[in-house]
Amino acid sequence: MSGIIQDIVNRKIEAIKGENNVYDMGKVVRVSNYILEAGGLDEVGYFERVRIGDKAEGYVSRIGRTGVTVEVVKKHKPVYVGDEVTATGEPFRAAFSEDYPGHIVDIFGEDKLSGNKFENLRQIPAIAPNIPIMDRTSVERPLYTGICGIDLLYPIGRGQRQLIIGDKKTGKTQLALDAIVNRKNETAGDGPKPLCIYIALGKSKKTVKEIYNALLQKGAMSYTFILTAFQEDCAPALFLTPQAGLSMAVEFMQKGRDVLVVIDDLTQHANVYREISLLAGKVPGRDAYPPDIFYTHASMLELGCQHKSGGSVTVLPIVETRGGDITDYIATNIISITDGQIVTSAKAFEKGQRPAIDFGLSVSRLGGAVQTAEMKALGTAARRELLSYLETREVFELANVDEMSPEMRAKIQGGRELMNRMNQYIFDPVRPEEMKERFGPVVETLTAAVKREAAG
Amino acid sequence: MKIGKIISISNLSVSILLDDSRIAPRSCVYALRGNERAVFEIAGVDGSVAKAIPLAGVNGLKKGMDIYLREGGLSIEYSDDILGKVFNSYGELIDGQVLRDSKPKNIYEKNLNLAEIDIEGGILWTGIKALDFFAPMQKGFKMGLLGGAGVGKTVLIKELINNIYKGRGSNSVFVGIGERSREGKELYDEMIASGLMDKLAVVFGQMGESSMARSRAAYSGLTLAEYLRDEKRQDVLLFVDNIYRFVQANSEISAELGNLPIESGYSTALLSEVSEVMERINSTDHGSVTSFQAIYIPADDLTDMAVNTIMSHLDGQVVLNRKVAEKGIYPAVDVFNTTSKLLTAERVGERHYRLAKESVAALARYQELEEVVAVLGIDELSEEDTNTFFRARKLRNYFTQPMFVSEQFTGIPGRYVEIADVLDDVENILTGKHDAVDENLFSYIGSVGDKARAKSEAVV
Repeated sequence: MSGIIQDIVNRKIEAIKGENNVYDMGKVVRVSNYILEAGGLDEVGYFERVRIGDKAEGYVSRIGRTGVTVEVVKKHKPVYVGDEVTATGEPFRAAFSEDYPGHIVDIFGEDKLSGNKFENLRQIPAIAPNIPIMDRTSVERPLYTGICGIDLLYPIGRGQRQLIIGDKKTGKTQLALDAIVNRKNETAGDGPKPLCIYIALGKSKKTVKEIYNALLQKGAMSYTFILTAFQEDCAPALFLTPQAGLSMAVEFMQKGRDVLVVIDDLTQHANVYREISLLAGKVPGRDAYPPDIFYTHASMLELGCQHKSGGSVTVLPIVETRGGDITDYIATNIISITDGQIVTSAKAFEKGQRPAIDFGLSVSRLGGAVQTAEMKALGTAARRELLSYLETREVFELANVDEMSPEMRAKIQGGRELMNRMNQYIFDPVRPEEMKERFGPVVETLTAAVKREAAG
Repeated sequence: MKIGKIISISNLSVSILLDDSRIAPRSCVYALRGNERAVFEIAGVDGSVAKAIPLAGVNGLKKGMDIYLREGGLSIEYSDDILGKVFNSYGELIDGQVLRDSKPKNIYEKNLNLAEIDIEGGILWTGIKALDFFAPMQKGFKMGLLGGAGVGKTVLIKELINNIYKGRGSNSVFVGIGERSREGKELYDEMIASGLMDKLAVVFGQMGESSMARSRAAYSGLTLAEYLRDEKRQDVLLFVDNIYRFVQANSEISAELGNLPIESGYSTALLSEVSEVMERINSTDHGSVTSFQAIYIPADDLTDMAVNTIMSHLDGQVVLNRKVAEKGIYPAVDVFNTTSKLLTAERVGERHYRLAKESVAALARYQELEEVVAVLGIDELSEEDTNTFFRARKLRNYFTQPMFVSEQFTGIPGRYVEIADVLDDVENILTGKHDAVDENLFSYIGSVGDKARAKSEAVV
């Protein structure tokens, strides 16, 4: 043992003499997958970036009495016990370039299609600091997605965090892609261009390429970049990717830009974090997730806001449920962080409803505050009639329509018509003016019926 | 005074090798990180090694850094000036204002003994039909508002602030624990806009902040409320949104200290931590503290250990249910789990008590009938059951209410309803006086008397 320490000291002195810009050195003493223990490194700071020669890089995740724990973010070659670990004197940061739009990138600044690094890279915090409460202003400007069920009933405002939650294969990602594509219709004239960040976590390469092609075809890649970490990447890189993505969004926001961030998906993120902390030997909490899982997601999603600078970060996190259960631990955590949720339902999907939104479970906590007066009036009435119809339909599902009172029949038929008009194709945005034409008459008929009753 | 050095660092804690081991838990210490102070609270001492929790974060800390003692422990500054100000969890002003002639006060000091606690108090009406009817409130009560994610707790808290604080004008303290910063800022903006901020002190430890900040916000808020009660001798309203986040923050800290968790990963000391905070929220003969506390129900599980621990300290509870919210009924009150110690014939009167009991019975029968109707149809019910079925639906609709604070969402102006009107209306529905009226006309109205007005306004 003393031999190793003497060895470390000698090498350190040599390195300092050689002025290699080395701050501190140590040696790998234990390797397990992507978590390393290193001896030495007495001067290293928490979350400092370290390198294991040209083999790997990572950050310090624990400083113990005799050594440190390093979580490896990127690995080029296998690491062996005895390899040298060098500190860099700076915290772990993500690479960022203004030229990202149009490309598929990772947090190291690599263009994933060409394999080259960007030229004008700059290091930004991997985890952005909290936005002070007094630097926030009200969320009130609409962000149109072109989807009737969202823009009319559960609208999204710039700076809002709206969760998209549902089972596999119910069109969650598609909703987010529709929102990204519709951004190009929004900004006309000299205003700042829209900017979107699609964060793909643990998606297959084929899926990422499909998404890239779809966005390219629809002309949305000019203002969008895809930030990705594949399943094959080190788990700590997957863990940091959404945080780094939001950090990038904050960079743009502080320049007054309106940024839309899609995180696809947070279930994956929670599972990756669980894996890392269990492997690191931390005490597990509920469902074996780390005890600070809520804080991890909350501090990340709290970066979404309308900033006093005029810019905003709108976040659409995606959560995947099993068996339509939106009340499991991670799902309710994220519901309690976000400003509302769009729930997609497998049952509605099977019945042919597109997009398959469950209107009863979806919520927007900001509601009409982010709509124009006209849209708000129409949306409020449409939502009331639709929910009333859905509830009535449930209770009287087996009743014979022909034997109902004329009022009840009118209500059921009107409600059905309303549901039909909510259907639309993918990448087929409806503008707010068109929504007024599409829903105005049917909503008016429905509310008129109630009015007549009230008068009578 | 230098007391030791950092010897190890992990995500949420540091270990300190002490020069002199005479340091007690909950002392405050700091290290110098560049020119800013990184402050810690001592969580425990083992021989000459102390574990400490950072108030903010550990990024950039190094082994070997010197640790100094901060005198007075974790304390907040206070003076007559606290009203109209916004504090963080550690008593620092975050709204750019300054506190004049302030004195420090340790946030853990206060503890009431049995003799000091006062349990008398008059009834406090909230103007919210479902609350006044099913869970009436008394001055000095601790009322819990429980609900899963996104069923309307915060809206209800805001409506209560609107109805009670605006109406009574008593000095109030709002403690935001682990909730959305956006909502916190909106509350502040609304209070400024409506000129109500001058009687309100606000403490924020929101969800983007460290677990220590979220945990200690509760103590800091209480210290402010106690100052108003004990030194200014006032009746104080205390709004807490959300006390569950306090428990959650403590379990993060507990796990990081390596304590084995109890069920669902909660802190080993769950019972004593909740009790420490709850026992401080009480009235004395100098003044009262009436509190409304939002309580988050994780994973919609009402049997959750933390939720039940908090519930055992409450005088009343309003439970919000997702199944109710799904039907578009707000506030989404689950009448079967909503209770108050005050709902006895002795306190609210025989009529109110009887009507509440009958209403719950009718709604319980309705739940059973709903299943029968879904399978067999409405025609198969007996006449009595048919009546109960339709009257209960009207009752259910009647207990919806347009809220002042959600006017922007519903498009319907808010309503404050007198309890006398509620009792009359409920009696009329139950006895069948409204049998001929369409059930939809009972949704989102104030009292039945002003329904025509409400509806015509709603239909734009």
